Amino acid sequence: MTAATPDPAATPSTAARGSAVGLDTPPPQAGRHARRAVARSAGRDRWLVGLVGVVLLLAGTGAALLAFGVFGTGRAQRSVLDPMIVDALRAQPLLWRIVAIVGGLLLLVLGLLWAIRSLSPERRPDLALDAGADTTLTVTAAAVADAVAGQARALPGISRARARMVGDERDPALRLTVWLAEDADVGEVCRRIPEEVLAAATDAFGGRALPVAVRIEADTEEGPRVR
Amino acid sequence: MRVLLRVLAPLLGLALAAVGVLVVVEVVAAWIGSAGTTGSDGVIVPWPSWQQTLDGLLWATTPVRITAIVVAVVGLLLLLVALAARRHDVPLRPPAPDVTVTTSPQALARMVGRRVRAADAVSSAAVTASRRAISVRAQGWEPTDGGTGLAESVRGDVESLLDDLPLANRPRVSVAVRRQAGPR
Repeated sequence: MTAATPDPAATPSTAARGSAVGLDTPPPQAGRHARRAVARSAGRDRWLVGLVGVVLLLAGTGAALLAFGVFGTGRAQRSVLDPMIVDALRAQPLLWRIVAIVGGLLLLVLGLLWAIRSLSPERRPDLALDAGADTTLTVTAAAVADAVAGQARALPGISRARARMVGDERDPALRLTVWLAEDADVGEVCRRIPEEVLAAATDAFGGRALPVAVRIEADTEEGPRVR
Repeated sequence: MRVLLRVLAPLLGLALAAVGVLVVVEVVAAWIGSAGTTGSDGVIVPWPSWQQTLDGLLWATTPVRITAIVVAVVGLLLLLVALAARRHDVPLRPPAPDVTVTTSPQALARMVGRRVRAADAVSSAAVTASRRAISVRAQGWEPTDGGTGLAESVRGDVESLLDDLPLANRPRVSVAVRRQAGPR
């Protein structure tokens, strides 16, 4: 492999974007939208699983300390369902019943919402193009994905490519995953994807520049791949 | 860990929802039951018998201690899964403001491995990579004519690959070589 030195003069004329900023110039902060498109976010799941973990950890640790007599042996010798606490609950039956019912309903709703949202597939929004006052022009998510992936596959050094739309209709973005072939010149591929693939996509979609997250993987294929 | 999180999250959500349903059903049933007929036996779960058991169980007994420890350990494991399920992407320099380029540590390691194994003096190599560090363990033949040592030539190969790759942060490179005896 040879070292890839970007040559501004070699930039294709179709490069509407990507050409202005060469790979070797430190660009401004990459777009927030593009960064969000890198992968499906697991933030909510991580927070909630962590929260359940912390609650269980604290409850378990507290109960263990109590059971081993850290809070006094007298306390450890009382029954788990302490009559003192039961009496306190029985003094206000209506209040505690309502608290229990509201708490149960909250758990039900939040638990179901969490399960549904973490099971629902990631959205593939269609792309609405600005076509004029009384015309709407929509490019389906599959069409955008096919066009961009096909363009990427045509580059030398790329053995496979997959693209998909992510985000929502108001805020669509594109995720492009490319697999480098064994003999790929990595530097050149990195330079040509924005210059050729993304620029062509921008041209095709009426100059509408989508935030793009490019993912580079290295192919493990030995020999020709059968399609 | 992200796969485990993807499996755990909906299961935990459904478990919470199930607990919520049980609480509501049992409390409402007990409420209605206490207004009309005397003491029921629970609609779905036999909580009156649980109540009796817990009533007679002291904190300082083995089952309570074991349960408490198990609950704490499960909580700790969930917390660790949540913390470990972050992304390990290796960022590349973004070529345009609205484009991000990333690769995976596995892909980076594979690229480095290909480059290192392409050298004639290297017979085998194992690579681990992250966004901060690349470590190469190579096996091969030291040059007989007193040229550059095997470790230096492997390091040179890795550094030249890193020169080609527009990585956002250049990782540290560590190379360990094992001399191979015998003819090539």
